Amino acid sequence: MMDIARSAVEAALSGGADYADARVTRLSCEELVVRNGSLGSAEAPEDMGIGVRVLKDGAWGFGALPLGRAVGLEGGQRAGADAARRAVRSAAALAPMRSEPVRLAGNEGHVDEYSTPLEIDPFGISLEDKVGLLRLADESMSGADETVVRESSLSLRREEQWHASSEGAALHQVLVRSGAGIATTAAAHGQVERRSHPASFGGNYKCAGWEHVLDMDLVEHGPRVRDESVALCSAPACPEGKRTLILGGSQLMLQIHESVGHPTELDRVYGDEVDLAGSSFLTTDKLASFRYGSELVNLVADSTVAGGLDTRGFDDECVPSGRWPIVKDGMFTGYLTGREWAERVGEEKSRGSSRAEGWYNPPIVRITNLSLMPGSWAFEDLLADTEDGAIYADTVRMWSIDQRRLNFQFTCEAAWEIQGGKLGRLLRRPTYQGSTPEFWAGCDAICDASSWELWGVPNCGKGNPMQVAEMSHGASPARFRNVSFVGSEA
Amino acid sequence: MNLFLQEDVLGFARALVQRSPAHETEVSVAGVQDSFVRFGAQGPSQNADRERAEVSIRVRLKEGEGYREARATCGSLADADADAALGRALALARVSEPNAELPPLGGAVNVPETAAQRPTMDHSFREKAKAVGRALEACRAQDLLPAGLFQTTALSRGLVNSAGREVFGARSRASFALTASSGAPDGSGLSGEGSGFAESISDNVERVDTQGVVERAVAKAVSSRAPRALAAGEYTVVLEPAAVSSLLLFAAYHGFGAQEVSERSSLLCGRIGETLFPEELTLVDDAANPVYSGFSFDGEGAPRQRAVLLSGGRLGQPVTDARWSKKLGVANTGHGKQQPTTDGPSPENLILAPGAASRENLIAGVERGLLVTQFHYTNMIEPLDLVLTGMTRNGTYWIEGGEVQHPVRNLRFTQSLVGALQAVTGIGREQEVAGALFDGELVAPAVRIDGFRFTSSTDF
Repeated sequence: MMDIARSAVEAALSGGADYADARVTRLSCEELVVRNGSLGSAEAPEDMGIGVRVLKDGAWGFGALPLGRAVGLEGGQRAGADAARRAVRSAAALAPMRSEPVRLAGNEGHVDEYSTPLEIDPFGISLEDKVGLLRLADESMSGADETVVRESSLSLRREEQWHASSEGAALHQVLVRSGAGIATTAAAHGQVERRSHPASFGGNYKCAGWEHVLDMDLVEHGPRVRDESVALCSAPACPEGKRTLILGGSQLMLQIHESVGHPTELDRVYGDEVDLAGSSFLTTDKLASFRYGSELVNLVADSTVAGGLDTRGFDDECVPSGRWPIVKDGMFTGYLTGREWAERVGEEKSRGSSRAEGWYNPPIVRITNLSLMPGSWAFEDLLADTEDGAIYADTVRMWSIDQRRLNFQFTCEAAWEIQGGKLGRLLRRPTYQGSTPEFWAGCDAICDASSWELWGVPNCGKGNPMQVAEMSHGASPARFRNVSFVGSEA
Repeated sequence: MNLFLQEDVLGFARALVQRSPAHETEVSVAGVQDSFVRFGAQGPSQNADRERAEVSIRVRLKEGEGYREARATCGSLADADADAALGRALALARVSEPNAELPPLGGAVNVPETAAQRPTMDHSFREKAKAVGRALEACRAQDLLPAGLFQTTALSRGLVNSAGREVFGARSRASFALTASSGAPDGSGLSGEGSGFAESISDNVERVDTQGVVERAVAKAVSSRAPRALAAGEYTVVLEPAAVSSLLLFAAYHGFGAQEVSERSSLLCGRIGETLFPEELTLVDDAANPVYSGFSFDGEGAPRQRAVLLSGGRLGQPVTDARWSKKLGVANTGHGKQQPTTDGPSPENLILAPGAASRENLIAGVERGLLVTQFHYTNMIEPLDLVLTGMTRNGTYWIEGGEVQHPVRNLRFTQSLVGALQAVTGIGREQEVAGALFDGELVAPAVRIDGFRFTSSTDF
């Protein structure tokens, strides 16, 4: 496959490209969902193809074609040459309209291999065992008349990539992602309420093996998830007004993603994403001078962290993975960049945050793994330190944020009112609203590493046409002052 | 193999069905040809020319009164890849449990022929460059930053099953969109002080109004400069089609399918047959509509029927697929996905019927209110009343005394769709094809709604 990728690069250069890279990508998946007692979805997709990206006369071009798994060298070279021809042709047609040529930071001619470390290869587990686990999880959620949907799901993905470039890069990577989760929906008393474990929308995902699935104890949590979804239907609505909020990790993950991850993507800052996903309030004059949050807030981008969904050897521009601060002691210190965008702000090298969905798409700037560093509080001590009437909320239900990533409104699956330093009554549909820097400025306590967890986002949409990418966000529960809760009733 | 030739696609699928040892087999083949130019402040930023295919194999093993069922896909048309996918589907089916709720695969049907438009399939990069050039020039002339996309796509689908069903169709889609924004192209970012959006979508690229898009987007960006602050509150709104789309698509995602109704999670629950809305409101799902047609069959090859979801303000029946049709004992409306799936049937070709009002009439009927171009990042808080939240974007204006007065800063709304539709007081006569941030497109006119609830404001 590497020979096919190299051959496509050669074809692009022969066709007039000034720079070329070619990615052959093979994706193999197993997607299983047991829904209300039966295997409602059982899919095994496989997909493979080649994407060739070129620079010609200062403009990008991209061509992509499918490959068969048993494609021979000759067939692969033919497809690669065709994709290269398409890429060069599209770049040549549009290059005269560029006001400035695209320039790339650095020279990334690496030759290397990378594989996700696995304790247990998830594709080595029998289908019977996988479905058996999901059935047990499903049964553990049964028993309540109010329950209308029980879902236990498993998603396994193996992505193998051969990447060559005209700078001499030859990279082979195998990334394995495993995810699983359970959820129940109850309908009663005119309400429809869902609870999930360990996170919503398919559970938690990691670059890891079957060991990650086992670690989530899906069966053990089934009865709690069922009972909480039923209880939520008759729970009082979360009250409106300003209150202290403690966010659990699986909700804080979303807060990091939407209000720190996306605004720090440098292509947004320059306006190149404004046609769909939006722009960013984090203009370049704010770098190193803008207070993002309180002094406790430290957010680190890290495409090397163990288990991260975007943990890899190299990004899709052949840039090695790394770790760098985005917010340090509350100050904004760094962007997420690709090679084109790093050059724009005068950085010598890209941060390696440029990725594409499969072989079919050109890479764009992406959030990598981005985490809130742990603080010093034990969770129980934080509750004990928090006044009556404050809210503890967790698990993503709904999210919406404006086109500049300032005004957000998020709804969690569940909340508990804090009373006497402990979790008190259950509250339905907590919906909080705020503005990004004010919200992070209100952070006055972060729990310690014992409750820090890495949460995977398997479905981040960006680009136009839209692409999906994966990343993780680490967080432990944290406390925020003066948060506005708003009504969510009709 | 040519994925846009019926005999090629159906011949491939037929051969695969014949090779399958399963009791019942269904093979779907899809092809995509896609090219696009994306552009930003420095001109074209991504140009792509690409193709892909998907072979989807659904197998069923009969056991007792039920079927064990599963699906596998591959992105290659090579026999070896298709046979490997067949093997994976069979392996998965063997570990599923027999499901007695599943009807046998449907037999032969007749569906209307659909075809991809040749001008759209043949559209070149040089032709796209002309429209992009006009957008760049117009933005430059007004000191605006451009961002947009010109995309042409051809799609084909064929399906063969072991019960004798063979269907094939193709369609095309062309779109040109421009967002023009105030700001500097040097990384100091968009000022947020004014932006405009326009888009034209058609199945035929020759009907895409690129010049109109440029003019409308630039005019909006210019006229929305220096927006004034406005407090959150309830206002009468005139929503342009793009804003209507991002609300109504949630009804398509969550509201009008038989599964959501059966699982007590739909706006139709307890309301089917009730006249809850103004009689001017009619909403149908119609793949054969002349404005923007869709495929004439669903994910199981069943003919897509025209479904009346809301007629004269009265709520109709939910859409179904083969499984839900059997389960509920009602007709299959042909709104199924590829099976098996945990997703229920849903409408994919929504049409909100036009009214009699011109855009000017709609605005003239507002004493104090807002004209909204587009909503951003709309999402659903609650499914029974479809409580939604989102932001205004790319041109929001204060209306007073029946006339647009000045631009206003963006606002967040939190509003139930049921309540909004009940408060419709006017419907525009011009329909447009419009999409939203999440998936999907529909055909809608502008609408006027009283008492639309905005819950917070911004400083841009």
